Amino acid sequence: MIGYLAGRSPLHRAHPYTTLALAAAVLLVAFALTRPLEVWLLVAVAAVLAASGGGEVLRSSVRAALLLSLPIWALLFVLYGLLGAEPRLALGVVSLSAPGMARALVLGGRITAIVLGFLTALGTTSPHRLVEAMTASGVPFGRTFLLASTLTVLPRMRDRARQILEAQQCRGLRIGGSPLARLGALGPLALPLILGALAEVDEQVLALDARGAGGGARRTALEAPPDSGPQRLVRWALLVAVIVAYGWKFWRMRG
Amino acid sequence: MTAVMALEGVAFRYPGAAGEALSGVSLGVAAGEIVALAGDAGAGTSTLLLVATGLAPRLVGGTLTGTRRMPGRCGIVFSRPWTQLTGLCSTVGDEVAFGPASLGLAREPVLASAQRAMERLGITHLAMRDPAHLSGGELQRVVVASVLALEPDLLALDDPAAELDPAGADALYGLLPALAAGGTAVLVATPDLERAARVATRVVVLAGGHVVADGPAHLLEGTRVAAIARAAGCPPPYPPDVPSLLRRVGP
Repeated sequence: MIGYLAGRSPLHRAHPYTTLALAAAVLLVAFALTRPLEVWLLVAVAAVLAASGGGEVLRSSVRAALLLSLPIWALLFVLYGLLGAEPRLALGVVSLSAPGMARALVLGGRITAIVLGFLTALGTTSPHRLVEAMTASGVPFGRTFLLASTLTVLPRMRDRARQILEAQQCRGLRIGGSPLARLGALGPLALPLILGALAEVDEQVLALDARGAGGGARRTALEAPPDSGPQRLVRWALLVAVIVAYGWKFWRMRG
Repeated sequence: MTAVMALEGVAFRYPGAAGEALSGVSLGVAAGEIVALAGDAGAGTSTLLLVATGLAPRLVGGTLTGTRRMPGRCGIVFSRPWTQLTGLCSTVGDEVAFGPASLGLAREPVLASAQRAMERLGITHLAMRDPAHLSGGELQRVVVASVLALEPDLLALDDPAAELDPAGADALYGLLPALAAGGTAVLVATPDLERAARVATRVVVLAGGHVVADGPAHLLEGTRVAAIARAAGCPPPYPPDVPSLLRRVGP
């Protein structure tokens, strides 16, 4: 499942800015690392991060990250491993490009680390706490709503898709069978899904505006999540880590 | 009585539409009044609510001509409760407090407004529940409370009982006289003429974007439901209400 999973882990209790900073740091550091071992160490760090969110967050994040990453790994394997440049390594009957495989491992690892980091942040950051934190920081509601809606859009779309599929199946839609038949079933799902979402957003905008959301006044934070010195220190440390990672990358490039 | 909201010769056209959704509409709603808007689909009742609350053309787009005097604060309730939730609040209490918090009031007045609104709707027991796990009827009461927490001068309701069971609809309409007694002007667009006739102080009938009748609640006698009831030999009132029909059926 992609989305917030309630829990009491340290990540759940952390200030939302801290969890988002962790995910952002994984993203930035992933692009600073250029060697397969470094990148896969970062994947391990992202997995530890997911584990610190509790068993449910770890399971759902790893499962979703694998589902999202596997097709990309396969593509990278073909593009770089099988079709890559010389020198080649013979593995039984298969001949693989050595630099191509290294490149594929770096790119695949980066994507896996980034996806895992963000899924962990998504699973442990309550949209409500994030809104309250941003409100307390004086961020305008429009931006807060945009970010928080992005975090909640996947679970909402999934629920809606399930309802539409159930309704369409009652009207005779068959979703099993060959890949082509499954592809054909996407049409009756996608159109109502998109049109319904647009119509609802239209009405939600009116409802939110009528409730003062577009008034321009600075919103009152009712339960701003507590921040602390150690958490601020962690966020600064993450910033330093990112700077060090890029410094190292450029130093190596010059060398 | 001074009108809280007044329209004078108002015409409104949606963006890209060939014709006007409202044409030559003049209407005033005073504090404490409950005005029911009746009309067939496409008559313009929902559009009139959007215009009256200032959402059209500001957010909806389109062009408005004529004179419009707006109330200080408007609230609007649509028929589908789940589209009116913020999606950002984890409890009913936070959802209801969303409006006052958006006005930038201090924390205590915000919480007090939310508490009062929940008490009026009888949903204080739901305060700590997740809105995503409520029934349609409970959710619509949460939505109405969320709007009432803003203490609007004009409350507009667009077919507010469409998703409610009969008991929920009765409870919702039963709340309107108490709101009006507190000085709120209420404008309700509804196909539920029986309940509207029970609570409205005035009825405005629209057809094709024009106001075709404006007067006391017995105007509903001229509606299609009333005509069917009359043709079926039901005794007055027209349109019939459930108690009168039950009397007709007998024990």
